[in-house]
Amino acid sequence: MEQLKLKLGRVCAAIFLLLSSSFLTAQQVTVRGTVTEAGNKEPLPGVNIVVKGTTNGTLTNLDGSYSIKANLGDTLNYSFIGFESQAKTVLKGGVLNVSLKEESTLLDEIVVVGYGSSTKKEITGAASKVDGAEVKKLNIPRVDQALQGAVSGVQINTNSGSPGGSSSIRIRGLSTFGDNDPLILVDGIVYDSEGLNALNPNDIESINVLKDATAGIYGVRAANGVIIIETKKGARNSKPQIEFSGFYGIQETTNRLDLLNATEYAIIKNNAFINGGQEAPFNNTSLGEGTDWQDAVFQTAPMQSYNLSINGGGKSSRYSIGGSYYTQDGIVGGDKSNFTRYNVRLNYSFELSDRFKLNNVALYTNESRSTLPENGIGSVLYNTVNAYPTEPLRQENGRYSYLNQVNDIINPLAQMENTFNDFGTNKLVGKEELIFTINENFTFTNRFNYNVALTDGKVFSPLVWYGPGKAQNTAANEDLDAPQVEIADSVFLDRGASVYEERNTFVDLTYESYLNYERTFNQDHKVKSTLGVSVFNRSGNGLSGTAFNIPNNSIDFADISANQADGGFLNNTGSFEFEERLLSAFLRAEYGYKNKYLLSAIVRRDGSSRFGANNRWGIFPAVSGAWVFSDEDFFKIDAIDFAKLRMSYGVSGNDQIPNFAYRALLNGEGVYVFNDIITQGVAIGRASNPDLKWETTAQFNVGVDLTAYKNWSLTANYFVKNTRDLLFQPEVSGVLGTYSAGGFPPFVNAGDVRNRGYELELGYQNNPVNDWQISANFNMAAIDNEVMSVPDGVDFIPGAQFGVGGDEATRFEEGQPIGYFIGYETDGIFQTQQEIDNAPVVQKGAQPGDLRFVDQNGDGVINFNDDSDRVNIGSPIPDFTFGLNFRVAYKGVDLSGNLYAAIGQEIIRNYERQQPFANQQAFIIERWTGPGSTDEIPRVTTGTTRNNVFSDYFVEDGSFLRVRNIQLGYTLPEKWIKSAKANSLRVYISVNNPFTFTSYRGYDPDIGNFGGVLSAGVDYGFYPQARSIMGGFNLKF
Amino acid sequence: MKKVSIILATVLGLGLGVISCEDYLDVQPPFAQDAENYFNSPEDYELALIGAYDLLQASFLNIWIGEIASDNSIAGGESVTDTEGLHEIDNMNHDAVNNELRNVFRWNYAGVTRANYIMEFEDKIDFDGKAEIIAQTRFLRAYYYFQLTKYFGDIPLIVDRRLGAEEVTNIDRTSKSEVYDQIESDLKFAAANLPWSNPVKGRVEKGAALALLGKVHLYQDEFTDAAAAFDQIITQGNYALVSDFQNLWLADFEDNSETVFDVEYSGQEGGGYGCLICLEGNAAAGFHGPRQYEGPIYGIGNSYNLPTQDLYDAFDPNDPRRDISILDIEAFKASQPNPNDVSYVEGGGGHTGYYNNKYIKRKNELGLPDDDLTSPLNNKVIRYADVLLMAAEANAQLGNDGPALTYLNQVRSRAGMPSLSGSGQQLLEAIWRERRLELAGEGHRFFDLVRTGQAANEIDNFIPGKHEVFPIPQVEIDLTGNNWNQNNNY
Repeated sequence: MEQLKLKLGRVCAAIFLLLSSSFLTAQQVTVRGTVTEAGNKEPLPGVNIVVKGTTNGTLTNLDGSYSIKANLGDTLNYSFIGFESQAKTVLKGGVLNVSLKEESTLLDEIVVVGYGSSTKKEITGAASKVDGAEVKKLNIPRVDQALQGAVSGVQINTNSGSPGGSSSIRIRGLSTFGDNDPLILVDGIVYDSEGLNALNPNDIESINVLKDATAGIYGVRAANGVIIIETKKGARNSKPQIEFSGFYGIQETTNRLDLLNATEYAIIKNNAFINGGQEAPFNNTSLGEGTDWQDAVFQTAPMQSYNLSINGGGKSSRYSIGGSYYTQDGIVGGDKSNFTRYNVRLNYSFELSDRFKLNNVALYTNESRSTLPENGIGSVLYNTVNAYPTEPLRQENGRYSYLNQVNDIINPLAQMENTFNDFGTNKLVGKEELIFTINENFTFTNRFNYNVALTDGKVFSPLVWYGPGKAQNTAANEDLDAPQVEIADSVFLDRGASVYEERNTFVDLTYESYLNYERTFNQDHKVKSTLGVSVFNRSGNGLSGTAFNIPNNSIDFADISANQADGGFLNNTGSFEFEERLLSAFLRAEYGYKNKYLLSAIVRRDGSSRFGANNRWGIFPAVSGAWVFSDEDFFKIDAIDFAKLRMSYGVSGNDQIPNFAYRALLNGEGVYVFNDIITQGVAIGRASNPDLKWETTAQFNVGVDLTAYKNWSLTANYFVKNTRDLLFQPEVSGVLGTYSAGGFPPFVNAGDVRNRGYELELGYQNNPVNDWQISANFNMAAIDNEVMSVPDGVDFIPGAQFGVGGDEATRFEEGQPIGYFIGYETDGIFQTQQEIDNAPVVQKGAQPGDLRFVDQNGDGVINFNDDSDRVNIGSPIPDFTFGLNFRVAYKGVDLSGNLYAAIGQEIIRNYERQQPFANQQAFIIERWTGPGSTDEIPRVTTGTTRNNVFSDYFVEDGSFLRVRNIQLGYTLPEKWIKSAKANSLRVYISVNNPFTFTSYRGYDPDIGNFGGVLSAGVDYGFYPQARSIMGGFNLKF
Repeated sequence: MKKVSIILATVLGLGLGVISCEDYLDVQPPFAQDAENYFNSPEDYELALIGAYDLLQASFLNIWIGEIASDNSIAGGESVTDTEGLHEIDNMNHDAVNNELRNVFRWNYAGVTRANYIMEFEDKIDFDGKAEIIAQTRFLRAYYYFQLTKYFGDIPLIVDRRLGAEEVTNIDRTSKSEVYDQIESDLKFAAANLPWSNPVKGRVEKGAALALLGKVHLYQDEFTDAAAAFDQIITQGNYALVSDFQNLWLADFEDNSETVFDVEYSGQEGGGYGCLICLEGNAAAGFHGPRQYEGPIYGIGNSYNLPTQDLYDAFDPNDPRRDISILDIEAFKASQPNPNDVSYVEGGGGHTGYYNNKYIKRKNELGLPDDDLTSPLNNKVIRYADVLLMAAEANAQLGNDGPALTYLNQVRSRAGMPSLSGSGQQLLEAIWRERRLELAGEGHRFFDLVRTGQAANEIDNFIPGKHEVFPIPQVEIDLTGNNWNQNNNY
C-alpha cells in the first residue's frame, strides 16, 4: 500500500471541474402524511421522498409516515423499489397521504452496468439479470452453478461434481485459447472463478451479466463478458428482520456405468484372448456377479447448511449482517472429498451527512476442502471403471487386492483410504466506499477494495503398496519398507512417508474513483456521464516444503515439524512471489431523448504490467444505442406495452497470460546426474516476446426487448464476436531450442476466433390474483464457433490425447470449432474376409469384425500415419442450450423447478484403458462375433488391431436434458406461528438433479473442460454430479 | 460550494494523475534471473553447463530408434498406436509426421541452444577453469549436432548465438559436410582442453571427445582420421574391457574401465508419462521389460523394443552374449524352480518372446517406486568395446588387417569366443557382424547398417536413396516458413 500511496502522490495531470449550483427562494411549508401500499393499505416504510429538482429528501418511517419541508408549488416525488413512482404538487402545508401501486412490469428494475446503474428500460446493451431468490432456491454451494440454464448465452459446465469443484463459465462461447473466464465482480470487487467458493449463495441480492461490448467499461478484462454480483444490503427505516434458514440433504450419484460382471467379463476376455491368438485366461466362466467396484466406491453422502441473517436500517443507515455454515461430503470418498465453508458478512451503509454516504462491505470466509484424484488417468473413478470384477475388494489376508492384471490401475478403495489432500482458505474481502453527492447532478464515488486470501494445503503421502509394479506405490515393497535414496556416493537414506505443505498469500487491492453526472434538460433530454480511474494491484507469495519419514506412517504426525529424515536432507522447499498491476481510465457518456432514443459511448484506456514497455497500453471503445419504438405515435399494437431495439458495437481486451511472458527468465529445468546425484543447473524457461500485446474482441450485438399484455417479456439478441490476436503459445520451430524440460515456446499474438449466435429469453409473470402466483422463464441460445485463422506456419494446434500415448484427438484448426474432434469416420464392421478382400479401399491389417474406416481422400487406402483420412467427428460445443425455470404458488404452497438442456455436443469416451484385462462397459456384449452379428461394435481382441485408433466409435452424442431442481414448499399460516413471535416460516423439500435424459453412456454428460480449452468434451471418468434430496426451512422474525 | 469544488478537483486530479505514470506498471520479476543479465560468475557458467548436459538424457530415443528401425527389434508396446511413430519406423513406412522423430529434432536443438547460450557469453568474464567448461560445452554441442545430422542429413547450423523467433523463417539447412566441419572443430577443441580423467562421474573426458571425433570421421568414411583418433585412445591405455560382460549392464558396475561416454540417469526422481524429457531416469530401460510381469529378477515394463528372432539367431548358441543381451522369456520361465512363479502379459503392439536384456528394469534397481520411469541405468553411448570395433573397422578399411584383427579379437575373447582370422572384405564383414552381436540392443544397428551400405539388404522395406535419413518433420518445415526441401523421396 505504501507504494501505491507514493504513486498516487505523484500528480502528473489534473483535471479541474467547475461545478455550479443554483439557489431558489420561496415560501416554505411542512408536509407530512403516510405512504401506504395501494392494494392492502399496509404502510410502506423506506419510501424515498424527494423535492423535485433539489437534493432535499426523506424516507418514510416504519409506520409509513413522513415529514418534509418544501416550498409551495414544489413537486414531491415518491419512489420505492418495486412500486410505481408518484409525483404530487405541494399546494399547502399539512397532511398529504399517498398510496403507491406495485409495478406491473419489470422495466424499472435496476440493472447494474458498471460504475453505475440503469433500468431495464433504459439499458442499451445486452444484459441479463438473475434474482437472488432464484439462486438461493437451488441450495447449491457455488453461485455460478445457479447460472446454468438461468441466463441465455451463459454456458456453465461443471468441471467436477466433487464438493467445492469449480465450473467453467462461458459467456457467448469460447473466444480464446487461454483463459475464457469472465470478469466476476462482487460488490465491485474482483473475484476469480475459483474464488466464488467463498460466496454464500444466500447472501446474493442479484446477478447481472453483461454480455456485449457495453461490458467494455471494464476494458481489458471484459472480453469474456462481465458478471456483476450484488450482495444483500438491507433497507433504511426498517425493523431488524431476522432470518434463519437451513437444510439437510442426502446425495447419491446421478449415474452408474453399466459394466461387465464377472461372468460376462470372463466370457469377453476369453473371446479377446482367443481372437488375439493367445490362450483363454478363464477355464471357467461361471463366476457369478463378481465384484461391483462402483458399488464399493459410490456412497450416499450428507450435506447441510445453515444461514442466519439480520437486515434492517435506521434513519440514515442500513445494514445486512449474516453468517453461514455449509458442508458437503462427496458421493465418492465421503469426507475425503469434503467441502466446508463458514462465513460472516457485514454490509453497512451510513449517511455521514446529507451529502456523504459511506458503504462498507466485509466478508470473511473460511473454507476447507479435501480432494481425491479425479478426472484423469489415475483418478479414483478411472480406476473404478477399469478394475476387473473377478478380483475381490480384499485379499484373503485382509489387504486390499492388487489388481495385478492391469498396468497402472490400482484398487480404488485403497487409493481413497491412502489419499490425504486438504486445502484451506481464509479470505477477507471488502470495500470502503465513500459517495459524495455534490449536487443533484453530480455524485463522486471513491472506493477502496481489498481481497486477501491466505491459502494453505497439506498433502500427506503415506508409504503405500498398491501391488507389484504400480507407479503409485510409495513403499519399496508389500511390507511398506521405505525406498532408499542415494544422497551422496554410497550414502543411502530411507525415503519414508512424506508430507507436503504450502502457505500462500494473495492480496488484491483496488482503488477506484469516479464521477457520475446526471441531468435532464427541458424534461426530454437526459444526459448521464461517468468519468473515472481505477488502479489495481495484485500480489502474492508462497512457501512450500516437503518433509519425509513422518513417524508411524500416520496422518496424525503429518506435519513438516515431524520430519525425521536425517539431517533434513530430503526436505524440498519452494517459494514464489509475484506482483501485477493495472491502471485504467474510463469515460462513459449517455444521452436519452424522451427515454425513447438512447445513445451511449464508452472509452477505456488500460495499462497492464503483463506486457512489456512496447505494448503496454490499450484503448477500448464501445458505442451502443436503443430505440423504444413502442413510444412512437405510429406504434399502434395494443398488446405490446413496450418494445425496444438495441444495437451495440465495441472492442474489449484480454490480458490473461502469465506475468513476464514478454521476457525470458532462467526458470527452465537444467538438471543432470553427476556422481549419481541429481544436480541442479539453470536453463531458460519460456522464450521471450517483447512485442506481446492485448488480445482484442470486437463484438456486434443487435437485440430487441418486448413486453406484452403486461405479463409477458421477451428479449432476443443476435451477436457476432470476433477475437483477434489470440494470446497463446503456438508451436515454434524446434531450431529455436525451446522444447526441453521446463522450456516453453514464447507467447505470441496469433489466430482469430469468431463466435456468432442468438439468444432468446421469454418470461411470464402473472398478476397475483386469487392467491395464485405463476411465473416462468424460458431461455435458449445457439452458438456457432469457428477458428478463423491460426498462426503462420502452423496448420493446427494439437489438443487432448486419446487413450494412453495415443493419437491427438482434439484440435484448434482453421475453419473448425475450437477443440473439435479429429479422427476416423467409421462405416460399420467388416463382416467377412471376402468383404475385406473385395473392398474398393485397402485397410491394412483389417480382419472380419474390425471397424471399417472411410477413405476420405479417395486414394483407395486408409492412411494411418497421416491426416488424409481423418476428419471432424464431433465438437464439444453444443448447438443449442435451453433453460426453463418456473414457479407456481397457491396460498401457502409453492412449487418450482429448473431445467437445463444442451443439445448437439459430443463427448469422447476416454475413460476406458485399452488393456487386455481392464474391465469394459456392458455394451461390449453386443460385439461382433460372426458375420451378421452386428454392424456397430467391433470384435474384441488382445492382438494387433486398428479398432483402438481414435474414431467416431469412441465419440458419443452428449446431448442431455436435466431436471436440475424441483422444490415444493409450504409457508405456514401466520396464526400457527404467531405464538412463536415469528413472521413467517416456510418448509420445503427439494430435489437436485432428479432426472437426466441422455444417451451418453458415461457418468455425466455435463462435463466441463478440466485441462483447458482443448480438453473440453474429453471424459476421463468424470466425477458425476450428485442427485440430492433435501429438506429445509426458512424462518423469519 | 467552492471549498467542495476544490476538494473534489484535487482528489480527482490525484486519481487521474496516476494514469500517466507509466512507471507504475514497470514491475520487475522478484528474485528471478533474467536470461540477458547472466554469466557474472564462474558458478553461473557451471550452472548453465549443467543445463546443457540435461538434454543428453534424450538419448533413450536412440536406444529405441536405432534398434527398431533396424532388423534387430520391433516396436512392441500396448498397441500399434502406443507411441505410433516407433511402429511406423519399425515398418519403414514412417513419414514426415512422426512424434518421435520430431522429439529427436526438438530435443537435440534444445541441447544445441543451451550450449550456444553459454558460447554466446563465452567472453563475458575470465576465470580459471573456463577452458574446461567451454571444452565440455563444445563437446555437448558437437554431440547434439552429430545426432541431428545422423538422423536428418542437412540441418540448420546455428553457432555461438541464440536464434530470435523472427529469424526462423530466414534460416536454411546447412550441408552435412559443413555441419561435420563444425562438429570436428568443436571436438578437437574439446579433446585438446579436456583431461583424460575427471573424478566426477558423468563429466566428459578427453577420451569421449576423441572417440566421438573418430566416430564422426568413420561416418564420413574418413578412415585415416578415424583410425588416428581411436589409436590415440587405445595407445593412452586409460580404458580396458571389463572381464565379465554381464556386469556391464548392472547399475552397480557403472563408471568402469570400459566407460568412455555414458549418459547418466538416476532412479531417484519420479516422473510422469506426459514428459519423458523431464525424467532423470532412463525411460528406455524402464519400458523394455515384460508387461505386468511377476516373478524374480526383473521389474515390470511396457514391452517396448522387442528383439527379433533374426537377431537371436544371429548369435552362435555358445556365445554368452546372446542370453546376456536377449531375454527369452519362455525359456527363462521354464528354467525357474516353479515356472508358475513367472507371469506376464503380451502387449497388443507385437510380441516376439524376446526382451532387451541389457537395458531392462531389474528388481534390485527399482529406485523410487515409479517402475518404468526411473531406471538408473546409464546409456553407454560409447564404450571401449565400441572404440575397439570402430578402430578395427577403420584399420581394416585402410588395409591394416593386423591391428584390425587384434582389436576385433580383443572384443571376442572377452566374450569367451574363439579368435577369428581373415583379411580384406571378409575381415571387414566379420567386424560388422561382431558389431551387431557385441552392441545388440544398444541403438547402433540402424546407423551402422546405413553407414556401411548394408541397410537395403538387411531391413525389410528399406528403400535406398530414401531411408538413409529420416524425413525432416513436416511441421518443422512449415514453422520455418516452408522454405526447406524435404529429404529425398519422402
